[in-house]
Formats: sequence, C-alpha cells, structure tokens
Amino acid sequence: MDITAELRTIVGPRLSVSPSELYCYSSDASQVKGMPDYVIRPKSVDEVSRIVRLANENDVPVIARGAGTGLAGGAVPVRGGIVLDMSGMNRILEIDIDNIQGVVEPGIVQDVLNEAIKPYGFFFPPNPGSSAMCTIGGMIAYNASGMRCVKYGTTRNYVRDLEVVLADGTIIHTGSKMLKSAAGYDLTQLIIGSEGTLGIVTKASLKIVPLPKARKLVIASFENAEVAGKAVVKTFSNGIIPSACEILDRVTLQVLKRCDPKLVLPSEGDVLLFEVDGTESSALEAAEQIIETCSSLALSIKLAESEKAMADIWAARKLVGAAVSRLDPTKTRIYVGEDVGVPIIRIPELLKRVQEISEEFNLPAMKYGHIGDGNLHLALFIDILNKDEWNRLNQVADLIHRTAMELGGTVSSEHGIGAARAEYMKAQWGPALEVMRAIKKALDPKGILNPGKLGL
Amino acid sequence: MKAVKNEGKEKIAQAKELDKNEIGEIKGKDQSFEVDRRSVYKCVQCGTCRSVCPVFNVVGWESANTRGRMLIIKSLLEGMPPSEDVLPSLASCTICGICAVKCPAGVNPPDVVESARAELVKCGVINNSQEKLRAAIIASGNSFGETKDRLSWLSEAERSKLPEKSDYVYFIGCFNSYRYPEFAKKTFQILQRYGVTLLPDEQCCASPLLRTGFREDAEEVMKRNLEQIRKVGARTIITSCAGCYTTLKNSYPEEFHIISLPEFLAEHLEEINLKRLDLTVAYHDPCHLGRHNKIYEASRKVIRAICTLREMKNIKEDSRCCGGGGGVRIGYPEISLELARKRLEDVPEGIDFIVTSCPLCVRNLRDAGGNIKIIDIVELVAMAME
Repeated sequence: MDITAELRTIVGPRLSVSPSELYCYSSDASQVKGMPDYVIRPKSVDEVSRIVRLANENDVPVIARGAGTGLAGGAVPVRGGIVLDMSGMNRILEIDIDNIQGVVEPGIVQDVLNEAIKPYGFFFPPNPGSSAMCTIGGMIAYNASGMRCVKYGTTRNYVRDLEVVLADGTIIHTGSKMLKSAAGYDLTQLIIGSEGTLGIVTKASLKIVPLPKARKLVIASFENAEVAGKAVVKTFSNGIIPSACEILDRVTLQVLKRCDPKLVLPSEGDVLLFEVDGTESSALEAAEQIIETCSSLALSIKLAESEKAMADIWAARKLVGAAVSRLDPTKTRIYVGEDVGVPIIRIPELLKRVQEISEEFNLPAMKYGHIGDGNLHLALFIDILNKDEWNRLNQVADLIHRTAMELGGTVSSEHGIGAARAEYMKAQWGPALEVMRAIKKALDPKGILNPGKLGL
Repeated sequence: MKAVKNEGKEKIAQAKELDKNEIGEIKGKDQSFEVDRRSVYKCVQCGTCRSVCPVFNVVGWESANTRGRMLIIKSLLEGMPPSEDVLPSLASCTICGICAVKCPAGVNPPDVVESARAELVKCGVINNSQEKLRAAIIASGNSFGETKDRLSWLSEAERSKLPEKSDYVYFIGCFNSYRYPEFAKKTFQILQRYGVTLLPDEQCCASPLLRTGFREDAEEVMKRNLEQIRKVGARTIITSCAGCYTTLKNSYPEEFHIISLPEFLAEHLEEINLKRLDLTVAYHDPCHLGRHNKIYEASRKVIRAICTLREMKNIKEDSRCCGGGGGVRIGYPEISLELARKRLEDVPEGIDFIVTSCPLCVRNLRDAGGNIKIIDIVELVAMAME
C-alpha cells in the first residue's frame, strides 16, 4: 500500500490531493509559498498520531495549520509534505469555572472561545487582530498576543497543559490543571512558540480570567510619532499600566476614516489609544491620570464618550492592517518587516529610524501597533504589479529588522519567525540558536515537523 | 511503500522571489483566462472571510471559502490551466456577498467569482447541473424547463384585460410563475389597481445565467425581455423576486426604474389599507435585496405596519445566506440545504412565521425543514387585506 492509500485508511475523505485544494494551502497571509503533497483534516488525536507516525517512517514533512492567518509562512509547507488542517478539531471540551480554566481542541477560534465563556463572566485575554478567525492552536504555536498584551501578557501566560503528538507519533501531556508545578522541565513553555517544529498540539488547557467590569479609552494626538513614543514612556514610568496602548500614525488614521467615516478620531497628528480597565471608578481614575500625564505633550487628549465609540474604534483598529487598499486601490499591503519590537525606552528612536528608512526608499508606510509593549506594526504597501517597488520593499524590510536588533529588540514580537524571518535567527540569537537546534534534533531527529522554519 | 521525499522542494521555498519577478512577464502573456487583476491582487489573504463564508462553514476545506477562491483565481491568472478541479470551489459560492461586507481590503469577491465563472465557461469548464439549468432557460425561457404557459395562473378573463401599454410592468420571475403562482396572483391583485401590466412572453430575467457565468446566453435572454418592456412603454418595473430585482437593477440598461415589491408596498402602505394581525414574525433578508442592494428597511416597515417583528440573530448586512443562490442549489444541493438549516438556527423563539421577500429563499428555507412556516411578504400582506 502506498502512503496515499494508508493515509486514506486513517482519515477517509478528509484527505485531498486536488491541485486546487493543495494550492489553497500553499500560502498564508505572508509572501512565503510552498505546495503541499497532501492536505488532511484530522478529527482526533488518534488520527494525528497515526498520520505523524506514518510520515516519520517515510520521511514526509508534516505541517500543522490553523486558520492560515499567519504572517511569517509558519504553516506553509516549504518542503512539501502533509498539511494538517487542524481547524476542524474545534470543540470546547470543558469549561471549568471552579478551576478558572477551559479545555479546548486546537482548532477553536479565539472569538468563539470568548463568546462561549463570556456568560460565565470570564475571558481568554490574548487577542490578535485576527481573533475572529485565528485558532488557539496557531496562537499557541506562535505565542500570539495582541492589543492587551501590555497588561495581560501573551498566550504563554495562559496555557497550563498541552496534549502534544511528537514526531514519532507518541502522545504526551506537558502539564496539568495545577496552577504551579516544580516537577522537571517546563515542556508546556517549550512547545509554546515552537511553531509546530517540536510537536503538534491536539488539546490545550487554558487559564481564563474574570472580565473587567469597566473599560475606558483615552484618545490623544501628538505632533509626531516620536513625541507619542515619549508620552508612552512617561505614562509607564509614572506607574500606570494600561490594558492596551496603541499607536496609529496619520496614514493609519486616514485609512481608518476611509473605512468608517463616523469614527471619532483626532483630525491631526499621530494618535495614541490608551485603554484602562478595572472597576468603574478605578478605570476612570487611571484614565484621568493618563490625561494628566500626557496633556503637556499632546495636541489633543480626551476620554471616549461612549462604549459604542470605544467598540467602533477597536473594531476598526483590529482590521486596519489589511485596509490600506481603501486609500489607494492600486496598493496592496504586503506583510514584511511588520512585527519588530524594541524595549519601550527605545520606541521613539525606532519610530524615527523607520520614518527615515521609509523616506529614503520612497516607500510610504503606515505605522501602528502595540506601542505599550514595544511592538510596532509597520504596514508597507506597494503596487503589486511593479517590480521596482517589490525590490525597494524587501530592502526596507531588511533594514527595519536589522534596526530593531541594533536597538536591542526582536525581529518578531508576536507573528513568529516561520520561513519569512528565518534568516535573522542567527543574528538575533548567536550561539543560543545552536541550543534550539539541539532540542529540535533530540525531539525530531528526522526533521519531519515543519521543516524550513525558525532558522533551525 | 512510496515515500514523498523532501528533496526537490527547496525550489518551492524560493517561490516568493520567483513570483515577484514573474508578475511582469505573466502580465504580458496572452492569457485565455482573464479577470480584473487589481481586484484579485487586492486580497491580502488575511482570512477574515473564513469567519463569515457560509459555504466554508459547512464544507470546511480552505478552497470553499472566499480566500481559497481568490487564490484559485490567482493561480488561473498566473497560468494554471482551467480544469474541472476548480469547480467545487468556484462553482459553490452562493454570491451572498457577506465576504465583501467584511473584507478589510475592500475586495468585492462576488464580482470576481462571477467574472471567473464567465471565463471558465469560455474555457468549457462547466458544472453539469448548472449547464442543465442554462439549457433549460435557453430552451424554455424559464429556469425549470417548464413548457406550460408562464401566465397559466391568470384566468382568461384577467388576461384579456391586461393593458397593452402601461407605465408599470410587474416582472413575475420563474419561481413565482411556476412554483409559487399564489405569490404571483396575490402580488398581481395588489398591483392591478395601479394599472400594472405583464409582459406577454416574459423570459427568465437571466440571473441564473449571470451568476453561473453564462454571460452570452444571458445577453440573449435579457434582449427578449427588453424588447417587450420597451414595447409596453413601461418606465417602472416592479418585481417580487430578489434575484430578478438585482439583475434588472444592475445588469439591464439603466432606462427603467426598478422597484422591489417591499419598496412598492412600503411606499403605498396607506392606500393598501391593511389591518393589524396578532402575529409575531421574523424577517430573513435575501442577500440580493439586502447586501447587494441595501434594501433593508422597506420590508421591515411593511411588516411592522401589520404585526410584531422579532429580529433573527443575524440581520441586514450580517444576515446569513439561505444557500439558494449563485447556482449552488442546483449545483451542490447538499451544501445548499445545509446552509438553509444553519440559517434557521438564527430564528428567535416564539414567532408565528418567517417572512422573506424572495421565492428562492422561501423554497430553500422550506426545504430545510423546521417547525415554523416560511412565507413571502406578499402572503403576509394578503392576510392583512382579508
């Protein structure tokens, strides 16, 4: 029996070799491409284990994929093989309020999970812009975070236990329902952010937290992004920790207003959004403190008038990354150099350097992102039919990555390395990369799990 | 055992560069498959459409969502030979348009998919069931291949009284003519007082042909309707089918005023003299009336004039498709009915009827089962006129 027939005995019609289907799984939202040989939609850990074991015996790469919303090619089969579309394993297996946690399959969509636990008064805080479609499995694989990371942390802070299929098909658990454990290596943390190179997550126990009773939003505009960066540093050094702290430069504002002209946003300058949460009075007090702290630097500063105004701004902000075509239909957002991060104190410098690079290469850029945790999303947009613009785009992205490292930062804060940023791993990690390679070798000696990623 | 080795795949990892360099060359090549490239390249593959595409929701494969369809169209533009392999993806879109509403990049996928279908037809890549639908329309002038008279629901006496000239034409549509003649009759009874007439040899509006890519055939059918409308001298065409409405409004020449039955009823509420009914109903927005033409309030105004409206879970712009459109009911009936069943999950508790204003939606939602009767808005109005 050849491998196709064997795979079919495991999953039946949930295997495809249709060229059109394979093509749909040959990319994510990045520019990385690679055709799979098979796409499979497994339904159980047993199926995943049998598939991986078979693949291992036959030296066939296996690449786990969630919703394919990744921005680094992490789920792209750059060396062919089997793509496991995990989005069909999407059940919530348990909501255990007494232990403040939930057990889910990896294909559950972040927003769907939060809708399900909202009636209990809880939420799962990491919230990427893609929360309407991205899966928890993908979030674990890339240690995703999002706008509320500044107060709530990243996915890493919310995983207690993982069920993982290793490269030889063995199924392990990496943790328990316990809040803490002092028994051995922390394999949960090893798997989180490993981008499917060490194992495939088939189940996760997640910590959930109580929903805040109130949220307030302070909207402030500044003469330029550098001044805005200074305002962020000043806010933090005054001891205020907002639940979100976002920057939207003037180009981003134009795009947002094009998407929804009714949005209440300042008409000039670069804008900071500070969200604070807590009880009604504590949130209001923190908002007022921010206003007091930043008003000497700001062109304008005010509190969002209603919950609806606040919700509208966040909804628009979440999707702004892809919306640049609304400003100029000949331009398309290309996700490269889009996820650098630096220590908060270096943010004004990063913003200044990014602006200089953008001007030097005459490539307009939208700057927005989670400035509160040092993570800048740079949106470069080009005419996709113009070869020269592609060349300049790649040069700009490269310079941005190198600048972030120079400033003591990272080439990726939350989107991951995948294949798109693999070339920078050596520069960012030095000899530590060899440790990662050794771990990979130990757990996946044949290198079948998501090969070609993480610079391994 | 045959193993798929890693060797030889590294080239694919470099495809990023190749793609960029090739774009200019591909553009210059003589392509047999061509749709507006700008519209396709606007898609940034963010996957927002995954969260709303109703077909993807029941099928699960990436090719069954809008992003997958855009990718496949991109591959055809870049030289993949058109083949039947693309049909389960490209022919299974209901053209409901919810992806266009949600797309942050401002892509209009229904337009792109319809253009791609037209190109596939040119290349001879056609879904067999959709081909049968085309043949039926060409042979009989209606989407069911019915050979009986389109106006058989009208008595001889009524027919003889039809004005030869009128400012108003009631465009009946295939569904109301052959499957729901009671809707046609009730609509005609309401409209008669305004001197409305009917086309002597009405043909299918061409919507099914346009949705499934048979553009040349559509032109022929539309021409036959146009000649008759011009001969009658009508300036306003009233239709009670959402599919006919969007086609007459957006694909016919702009020389007539096209008005949907809900709009007409809403405008003439006071003249129609409706009584209140002790009913609570939900309203299902047909995609072709709602999202495609932004007619949300007219039906609601009519319903509220008669009884209590309790909204469904997803309404107006966010309304979920019944699964009946885009050639999916005939091409992929299982998917189509599953969509309808999902739509029925949005119905609130404690209602007497689900009202809609499209016979395709009526048919699909009725066929999906459920305990609540689905009626056309004209039936509700007729009840209130009794």
